[in-house]
Amino acid sequence: MTGVAHGDVARPVGPAPPADGDSPATGAPDGRAERAPGAVAIAGVTTTALGAAGAATGVVAVVRGIGPIHVGSLGPLAGVTLAAGATGGAFMVVVGLVAAAAGVYGIGYGRHGRSSPLQLAAVPAFVATMLLVPLAGSVSTFLATWELMAVASLVAILADHDRPAVRDAARWYAVMTHLGFAAVLVGLVVLAASGRADGLVALTSRAASASSASRDAVFVLTFVGFGAKAGLVPLHVWLPRAHPEAPSPVSALMSAAMVAMGVYGIVRIDIEVLGPGPRWWAIVLVATGAASALYGVLQSSVSTDLKRLLAYSTTENMGLVTLALGAAMLLAGYGERSLATIALTAALLHVVAHAAFKSLAFMAAGSVLFATGLRDLDLLGGLARRMPATTGAFSVAALGAAGLPLGAGFVSEWLLVQSLIHSRPSSGTLLALVMPVAVGVVALTTGLGVAAMTKAFGIGFLARPRSTAAFDARESPAAMLAPMAVVAAACTVLAVAPGVLAPGLRRVLLDTGSSFGAPPHLGLLLRLPGIAGSISPGLIAVAVAVAAAALALVAAVARAGRSRRPADRRAALWAGGGGPLTARMQYTATSFAEPLQRVFDDVLRPDVDVEVSHVEESRYLVDRVRYRSRIVDVVEARCYRPVLGAVATWASWVRRAHNGSVNRYLAFGALAVIVVIAVAR
Amino acid sequence: MSAHTYATLVDLAAGALLLSAVLVVWRRDLQATARLLAVQGAALGAIPILSGIRRGDVQLAVVGVAVVALRAVVFPKLIAVRLRGELAHEREGAPLVNTTASLLVTATLVIVAYALSRPLVRLDASPAARAAPVGYALVLIGVFLLVTRRKALSQVVAFLVLDNGIDAVAFLATLGVPVVVELGASLDVLLAVVILGVLAGRMHAKFGGTDLDELRELRE
Repeated sequence: MTGVAHGDVARPVGPAPPADGDSPATGAPDGRAERAPGAVAIAGVTTTALGAAGAATGVVAVVRGIGPIHVGSLGPLAGVTLAAGATGGAFMVVVGLVAAAAGVYGIGYGRHGRSSPLQLAAVPAFVATMLLVPLAGSVSTFLATWELMAVASLVAILADHDRPAVRDAARWYAVMTHLGFAAVLVGLVVLAASGRADGLVALTSRAASASSASRDAVFVLTFVGFGAKAGLVPLHVWLPRAHPEAPSPVSALMSAAMVAMGVYGIVRIDIEVLGPGPRWWAIVLVATGAASALYGVLQSSVSTDLKRLLAYSTTENMGLVTLALGAAMLLAGYGERSLATIALTAALLHVVAHAAFKSLAFMAAGSVLFATGLRDLDLLGGLARRMPATTGAFSVAALGAAGLPLGAGFVSEWLLVQSLIHSRPSSGTLLALVMPVAVGVVALTTGLGVAAMTKAFGIGFLARPRSTAAFDARESPAAMLAPMAVVAAACTVLAVAPGVLAPGLRRVLLDTGSSFGAPPHLGLLLRLPGIAGSISPGLIAVAVAVAAAALALVAAVARAGRSRRPADRRAALWAGGGGPLTARMQYTATSFAEPLQRVFDDVLRPDVDVEVSHVEESRYLVDRVRYRSRIVDVVEARCYRPVLGAVATWASWVRRAHNGSVNRYLAFGALAVIVVIAVAR
Repeated sequence: MSAHTYATLVDLAAGALLLSAVLVVWRRDLQATARLLAVQGAALGAIPILSGIRRGDVQLAVVGVAVVALRAVVFPKLIAVRLRGELAHEREGAPLVNTTASLLVTATLVIVAYALSRPLVRLDASPAARAAPVGYALVLIGVFLLVTRRKALSQVVAFLVLDNGIDAVAFLATLGVPVVVELGASLDVLLAVVILGVLAGRMHAKFGGTDLDELRELRE
């Protein structure tokens, strides 16, 4: 080996970047006119302004609530009622801040975009509808805004509708989100009917008197609908398709803000309005959350597509949030008020943290896509030198997603684990059974999450580039880097000083129900009420900073000392005939995940294919080895494919009746007329 | 006009309606069917005129005259104009079912129509109401023609038979609808016939024929 251990020796002769990927980088390759930058800028500025206004409204809602404003003329029959308490306000702040960052980011990202005015308008419309969901004060308004949000997001996903993958993703999303909407619709209508009211505040006091059967039905239906929006297993199948295929600002909005709306629905309807329920509700939440967390993190740790990896990580994090909500309900049911409060705090904090680090991660992934046109980790690498700012941003995001100290997700996950391990086994058999399992799930999830994020960061950004596109990467424009820097700063604040959220959290917890007690103390030292446990992320940060500074000092001193030695003589080292280090010698995303894939073989069921071709003269000499591994979503293959197949068979039978003959269609009509006349007489 | 004469004349008109419809099913030649349509339109218009004279209702008689003008003169004329430039094989109705079977089906449909309209007849014992099943039969025959004819213009004819049937029910069972409604419905039909004629012309220009089977290719 020659003396240069790092750095790029030669331009790799890797595979050319594939033409797909929502590649905004290279202008208008198919000859369509470029969109004037003005339109993109207007869309971006509108999005940011909407986001900022929404966040400000959210702060007002958290501080003193927004009283019910009824506008009868806006909607038929019931009109529109706007009202928001602290819970809605908190979610508005989250959505608004993500939208503000995504708006500015979109200006840089879409500069060479090919979007039509409709698609450009879809993003601000999507943000506006998302901000209206927490503002909805009545069942009818909630349903209307919920559906508007689904439609606007669908249009936003379809920005690149020329590619079949995008259309496929949009189809899955449209079907899943509308099935979810149907469930929410029926659930909330049953709720409104049994409570004989439309306003959510009025329903909160009346829902308790409804019959237990109707309450159970409302819970199941709304949880199915909100779970589909939050991407919980087994209704997550749209998420790993739609999030990667959407343009990156939309991915950030969907993954950071829209899935949080699913959590908002669970908190607002299932916990606040329906109030304390039977124990099995909590068990359903815990079980679904645990399954989602484990399944999401497993898929995320084996996927090689950067945005798909992040999308599965969204399922994982929403699973953790749901698990925390379920644990809070369960603990509250057993009278463990302080522990329930900690779990609920963990859930809310994790929503905020997830919004921060996941929007940052998607923006960084979009920056990589912008620079290289690649999402495949196997073809990336070596970006740390070429795109230092993006790499820095992604490292902050990955640290947050991994749940390690100094990462945005750490505090909430720590709180969650604390609430789970401190429950007294004497409180009840169920609690004693569920909590240890939940702790195990959270621990396994966090561990695998570290692996997944290490892979995403290490394989994608460090080492050497594995393709010419990655080799030629250039840093993205400032309009994309600036919002990333701001969100990265927000992530750091969340990780080091979560205390900034304490006043808002206190109000949300007061809003959420009487079964929860005082929130944990989130100062410099995190202290938990009623139990012995404390941690200080701020002090950890100081310690790490001091240690890093000391190490840097030592290294500098050592280097200074070394410079007095005679100059190194550099010569080629014996390298087994292999020559200098090449990009092919390093880990790829596939090889990094291979051990995990082996361990979880039974769950993932990968489709692995090793093809060895020999040199013609001798079977002992290998010409090339080709390794292919494809992982399909098991849930999709086992639960969805049979249903889809049955529907397709049935449809093909029906299609035989529709052969395009006008005469035949008229005959159907005639038959129908005769039947109607015969029945109506 | 005595009650007996009125009843005879109304029955005669209804019989002419039914017979002309059956003849439309029988004939393949579109020019002949256009002439049959004229007869049918005249028979249809005769019913409100007769009722108007019998009751001394001028408005009803005027509606009858308008119906005759539209259905016995304008529509057949439009079809004839459309047919003038066509080749011989384009002037055929080209039914999907042969003539014998068509006539048998028509007979069945007339029976079905009488069976279906029993409640309507039971409402009123007037000679006009007793003839109301003829309207039903016309509707069913019109639908049958729509289903079995391949050429675009024969579809127009079928559509007109159907509409004549609807009008016949209106006149026979209720002594006519208000002038405004009748006017609106007639204008609608006129518009539909004009549009269908234009569409048939476009089809002819596009596919070199007006066979509806060509449209099958347009299916997704």
